[in-house]
Amino acid sequence: MKKLLILLCCVLPGFFARAAEEPAPSYLELRPVIFSLTMIMMHDVVNPPAASRYYAYCMAGAYEIVAQNDPSVTGLGKFVTSYPAYTIGKQPGTYDFRVAAVYCVLETGKLMIPSGLQLQEEQAKFLKTLRKNGVAQKSIEAAVKVAEGMAAHIVKWSKTDNYFKLSALRRYRPLKGEGNWYPTPPAYMEAVEPNWATVRPMIIDSCSQFKPAPPVNFSKDSTSEFYRLAREVYEVSVKPDQEKLNIAGFWDCNPFAVTTSGHMSIGFKKMSPGGHWMLITGIACKDAKLSVEKSVVAHLMVGLTLMDAFISCWDEKFRSNRIRPETYINRYIDPRWQPLLQTPPFPEYTSGHSVISTASAEVLTYLFGDNFRYTDDAEVMFELAPRTFTSFRAAAAEAAVSRLYGGIHFRDAIENGAATGRELGQFIVEKLRGSGVAGVW
Amino acid sequence: MKTRTTLLLSVLSCFSALGANAQETLFQLLPSKGTGIEFRNEIDETEKLNVLSYEYFYNGGGVAVGDINNDGLDDLFFTANMGPNKLYLNLGNLRFRDITKDASPGLAGRKDGWKTGVTMADVNGDGLLDIYICYSGNGTDEQRKNELFVNQGNLKFVESAKSYGLDIVSYSTQAAFFDYDNDGDLDMFQLNHSTKKIDNLELAKFRNETDELAGNKLMENRDGHFVDVSQKAGIRQYPLTFGLGLAITDINKDGWQDIYVTNDYNEPDCMYVNNRDGTFTEDAKNCFRHMSQFSMGVDIADFNNDGLPDVYTLDMLPEDNRRQKLLQLQENYESFELMVSQDLHNQYMRNMLQLNNGDGTFSEIAQAAGVSNTDWSWTPLFADFDNDGYKDLFVTNGYMRDYTNKDFLKYRGDYKVKKAIDREPVQLMDLVKAMPVTLLSGYIYRNNGDLTFTNVKKEWGINKQGLSNGAVYADLDNDGDLDLVVNNLNDRASVFKNTSRERSQSPWMAIRLKYKDKNLHGVGAKVYVYTKSGEQYQEVNPNRGYLSCVSTTVHFGLGRNKAADSVKIVWPDNTIHVMNDAGVNQVLTVEYKGGQPKESVPAAKPAMFKLASGVLDYRHEDFMENDFKRQLLMLFMYSKAGPVIAKGDVNRDGLEDMFISGDKSKTCMLYLQQANGKFAPVKGPYLGDENIAITSAALFFDANGDGFADLYVGKGGYTVIEPESAPLQDELFLNDGKGNLVLTKEHLPVVTGGSKSCIVAGDYDNDGDLDLFVGSRVIPGNYPLSPRSYLLQNDGKGKFTAVTSPMDNVGMVTDAKFADLNKDGKIDLLLCGEFMPVMVFENTGNGFADKTTGYFDTVDKGLWFGLSLADLDGDGNDDIIAGNLGQNSQLQFSAKEPAELYYGDFDNNGSIDPFFNFYIQGVSYPFVSRDELNEQMYAMRRRFTTYKDYADATINKILLPEEMANAKKLAATENRSVCYLRKGGKFVKQVLPLPAQFSVVSRIIPADYDKDGKTDLLLLGNHLDNRLKIGSIDANYGCLLKGDGQGGFTYVRQDVSGLKIVGDVKSALTVDAAGKKYLVVGISNQPLQVYEEP
Repeated sequence: MKKLLILLCCVLPGFFARAAEEPAPSYLELRPVIFSLTMIMMHDVVNPPAASRYYAYCMAGAYEIVAQNDPSVTGLGKFVTSYPAYTIGKQPGTYDFRVAAVYCVLETGKLMIPSGLQLQEEQAKFLKTLRKNGVAQKSIEAAVKVAEGMAAHIVKWSKTDNYFKLSALRRYRPLKGEGNWYPTPPAYMEAVEPNWATVRPMIIDSCSQFKPAPPVNFSKDSTSEFYRLAREVYEVSVKPDQEKLNIAGFWDCNPFAVTTSGHMSIGFKKMSPGGHWMLITGIACKDAKLSVEKSVVAHLMVGLTLMDAFISCWDEKFRSNRIRPETYINRYIDPRWQPLLQTPPFPEYTSGHSVISTASAEVLTYLFGDNFRYTDDAEVMFELAPRTFTSFRAAAAEAAVSRLYGGIHFRDAIENGAATGRELGQFIVEKLRGSGVAGVW
Repeated sequence: MKTRTTLLLSVLSCFSALGANAQETLFQLLPSKGTGIEFRNEIDETEKLNVLSYEYFYNGGGVAVGDINNDGLDDLFFTANMGPNKLYLNLGNLRFRDITKDASPGLAGRKDGWKTGVTMADVNGDGLLDIYICYSGNGTDEQRKNELFVNQGNLKFVESAKSYGLDIVSYSTQAAFFDYDNDGDLDMFQLNHSTKKIDNLELAKFRNETDELAGNKLMENRDGHFVDVSQKAGIRQYPLTFGLGLAITDINKDGWQDIYVTNDYNEPDCMYVNNRDGTFTEDAKNCFRHMSQFSMGVDIADFNNDGLPDVYTLDMLPEDNRRQKLLQLQENYESFELMVSQDLHNQYMRNMLQLNNGDGTFSEIAQAAGVSNTDWSWTPLFADFDNDGYKDLFVTNGYMRDYTNKDFLKYRGDYKVKKAIDREPVQLMDLVKAMPVTLLSGYIYRNNGDLTFTNVKKEWGINKQGLSNGAVYADLDNDGDLDLVVNNLNDRASVFKNTSRERSQSPWMAIRLKYKDKNLHGVGAKVYVYTKSGEQYQEVNPNRGYLSCVSTTVHFGLGRNKAADSVKIVWPDNTIHVMNDAGVNQVLTVEYKGGQPKESVPAAKPAMFKLASGVLDYRHEDFMENDFKRQLLMLFMYSKAGPVIAKGDVNRDGLEDMFISGDKSKTCMLYLQQANGKFAPVKGPYLGDENIAITSAALFFDANGDGFADLYVGKGGYTVIEPESAPLQDELFLNDGKGNLVLTKEHLPVVTGGSKSCIVAGDYDNDGDLDLFVGSRVIPGNYPLSPRSYLLQNDGKGKFTAVTSPMDNVGMVTDAKFADLNKDGKIDLLLCGEFMPVMVFENTGNGFADKTTGYFDTVDKGLWFGLSLADLDGDGNDDIIAGNLGQNSQLQFSAKEPAELYYGDFDNNGSIDPFFNFYIQGVSYPFVSRDELNEQMYAMRRRFTTYKDYADATINKILLPEEMANAKKLAATENRSVCYLRKGGKFVKQVLPLPAQFSVVSRIIPADYDKDGKTDLLLLGNHLDNRLKIGSIDANYGCLLKGDGQGGFTYVRQDVSGLKIVGDVKSALTVDAAGKKYLVVGISNQPLQVYEEP
């Protein structure tokens, strides 16, 4: 059977003879590639929903290259209905499609992300490493050509998802109700992506397919349920235990926390929540010693899930338009209170991190299995110590509750957000299963 | 030998060339070798002590000038933040000796203290100037104690703050000594600043707190001991204020000293008006329509020689495009709105020149005057440097690091990540040092004598690059002109010798007062100098500018006058001293002699217009829509058109009635005039509401010829309304003959092409009925495309048909008038609009034809807001008066340097991308910031990846050639309000006087207000809902221009006209009621204002 597969692979265009389950050689690992996308997005201060979109499209081309070369991989069009088919042209000579796939991630990022041109450096570095590892120049050139063709196709497709129409839509005007979100200190930034729900999702049917349960009603009354929720956020911050502080910091994922000192303002940056889960995926791929092909599959699936989860969550955020704990606590409990984390610039309900982390964990669990133990060292560059998790779901649960510890979300936004994320994640899993994307590697 | 001589000669000629060049400037920077002034304010940034540990680290030091030994020569004191202070004795001839050590061992300041402001004042009333030094910084209370060095009379000083009760431990900026309670001794105001910026805006709770270290203090002098009376006096002491500037003045000239305090950051400045009972009322919001946001230094002086003190505050707005684009500007509508809601008033980041109107209001005219943008500025000082009789203006500026650099804000944070990846520690100082340093030269402006200033920094030799903070002027060499002394950061102090006397023969006089009791220097006295050219006015209030204190000797230049006709001194006790033969070109010492008469203020003539109350009770409430959320690159909002007013006699009782549009909480209403001249609302049928579309224009006219007034209501809006949709359909209400207005659906064609701006009626086809022209301002969501305006032909029964005309898509129309301009018996149409000229459409008998160029020699494209017709020169022809944007905004344009608006849907996403450009320092730059650009067109995020890349971009760099090829363009070449006088068939432009250019003029009501038989003009307007970078345009309080019958006009002061119309005027008309004539003014978000006309 194995032999047959190898034989089969050999006759496919552009495929080197090798073991199908060969773990990715270090020079073809996706993690550093995803990392360089993340660094560029951090530089550009790409907001979390927009970042998820870039991850999804950057992986889409790589995935299609793999799918068109590896018959065990289902075509993208099977589960992403908006994807227009595109067949990779014949290349003179042979090439390693895995090289093309990895290169395609960078190429798509180069074309799409504002400062994408800076990725040329990464591309050059990547090609240099290939040469160092004995990949023939001709084969490299062919792979680059394939990647460029695919990336161009992906970019064209991406232009049909309404993203570029966002700037033509009416911007957000904060509602006047007492319980409504208003920009928060210190920068009072305008709401991020108020019209994100109009962006076309990848797998889910519509932005409102997974509507969360309604939030607890706003009230100033100190005996109310809502006051109790705010009080909980406040109390946690008043006597924080170190572990909670660690958890809040670890999952902060704020792409732009503005720190001021007098007239001086500087934005300190972290990778977005989506970026964090893309890197977790890379860690899992490495730990599971996955092949390049499967790594690409895993990264794509998480990318698509992130994109859809953000669309769903942003739909709700600008439906409920709920006040942030910081505003509420300053008004009704303690005017000098500041949350541990800086409040992100968009409405509170539901917690985006809860939605997207839980959804991502569902998909990762499908692919890697439950009880997949790993150590997450993705945040080391922000001086945050690695944390070990017994499963993706455990990590997601921690990410969700971290928003309470950080003082930026109420508990119902976390719990209901996680529930939505679970439903959405499971929907995607079913869709993948139905399209022949196998799980549990 | 020969070569040597040549060399020597060439060196010599070099020198003399240099000398000659240097001779040409009014001010000469003197070398420190000559002056003996070696003082430097050197600061040393360390990891422990830097701008992050104390945010006012780069704010610099001050200068005090005064004659400490009463030898007739002004001596100098400099504060250094970290290094030693210096006291210099003036030896004459611009030579000084450092006597700090001899004068007092402590005068150099505590080594571990952070010195800030300095004041020379005779604190103990012995006739000798003492020195008070303020301390701040992040040290201990002990390190922050202010010091009072009491003058012993022998050039020795003894520190005695504690015994006077002045050993204050606040975070002190500056102190002023003045007599607030008129008891004859000097009290003290201590200006302090907070050190912790509170970022949230739930401020009400903080306002109840008292912060002893941050709050300001008023200290009453009780027999030589100073007692804190702040609370009782009503001085704000909460922890929110960052006081940077302090000036004492008698702002309302009631004989009692008032206090102006500037505040950095969110808290607005305070204008403490003396209640004459030991207390003050903070009155800034009533006085000023808007203020500097990050206010720094302040000066208060009468710069226009009208005898009223004017206020000038400094901020941080750069003059050049590059720094405007690189540094942060206000663009956040949410935080602005939040600030206003928290009672922080309208504050913008630019210098404000508040012209005193004499009636308790001020018109902010820094932009019209040309002094609004001087970058990060510290000291403003008004003084007559060229002795021409007008006070000029000196400004110091510069900040050691470009703190608000946007690349730093957005991209420097990467550094921390990179360091962490490289596993290297992050040094905060590395971040600080990464901030760019930009040296600036100060500004000096010559007063043109017409409310404007000219930047003469090159001509006058104030072009030294550096960081200049505290400064004073003084005639150091007693030669009759004012020299300048500047405290520089990390550089030697500058002494600029004024060579005015060497260059011109303009006479001067300086006056030194000898008053009584414990105020021998006469602090608080007023000095008037009267000449043929008019009056000049100064107060003896040495604390002005920044961290500094000028001399109590006041200096006047007399310009072309040989001498003063008279000099009047109003002493602090309000008695006067008049000299009719005061000599010139000398320092006059005037001694107080008791028994003089009190200053008598002549009873003000009754004002022309009188505020009338109870005539009509109406208050407009704003919708709080923000049009910039739909199109962030427009200049103005368009959905704020209310209240709209129209008048007509609805019930034919011979009395004019009024229609007033509604707002978010009320429908449009009819107000019927009662026999007693009051107007009562009619609870009648529907007259339109504001649910979806707003009412944007209205007209009473007889549509169906039945003799009863019918009503046409025009609809508009921008943010939430779609073009060609039902809500934009105007409404016609026909009078049923019993005074009821009834909506008719069948009488109007579809007129939903745009937001309406004006409706005029006239019988253009001479068939005996009234036809209409309905002008449209904008297509909702499609600025700046030309909306459809409508010529509506009446069938005689009040049914209208839209007739095609050349006015259909003429532009963004704001106003129109029918008039038979060529006197051919057919009415022609005159109209104006935004990025359009005033246009004439002649009635050809079977339609209209654009004859604009036939009537105007030059086509002035403007941002016209309104027009009016009247015979201004009595030749029997109608002249045009046209209201424009005015000259008092950042948007300056002319025929030579036109403003240009490029537009098109460049990214094909369904929205128009409009890029407005105007000239800054000779080059046309886009108004759009990089952040706005990235929001408007996502593709731009890739085109410019840093603020620096974008900073110098012109429109040709922003748009690709293929985009430029598809771009459409509008232009504007005139921003002034003008009249066009009809002369020989043409309209000849005559620009209205400067006060008419202080603001947007949208409503013009010509009439003979002073009954001299000549037509005067009443100009109303203002425009509050603009892009934040433009800010509220609001300096018009009702500008009355007196006509000379020839088309010339002079401005009538507000305290003479009696007009005090505050706010954004949206409608205005005059009605006759009960034998009186009323001016009725509709103002956005305010009650209707009604004045009885003269």
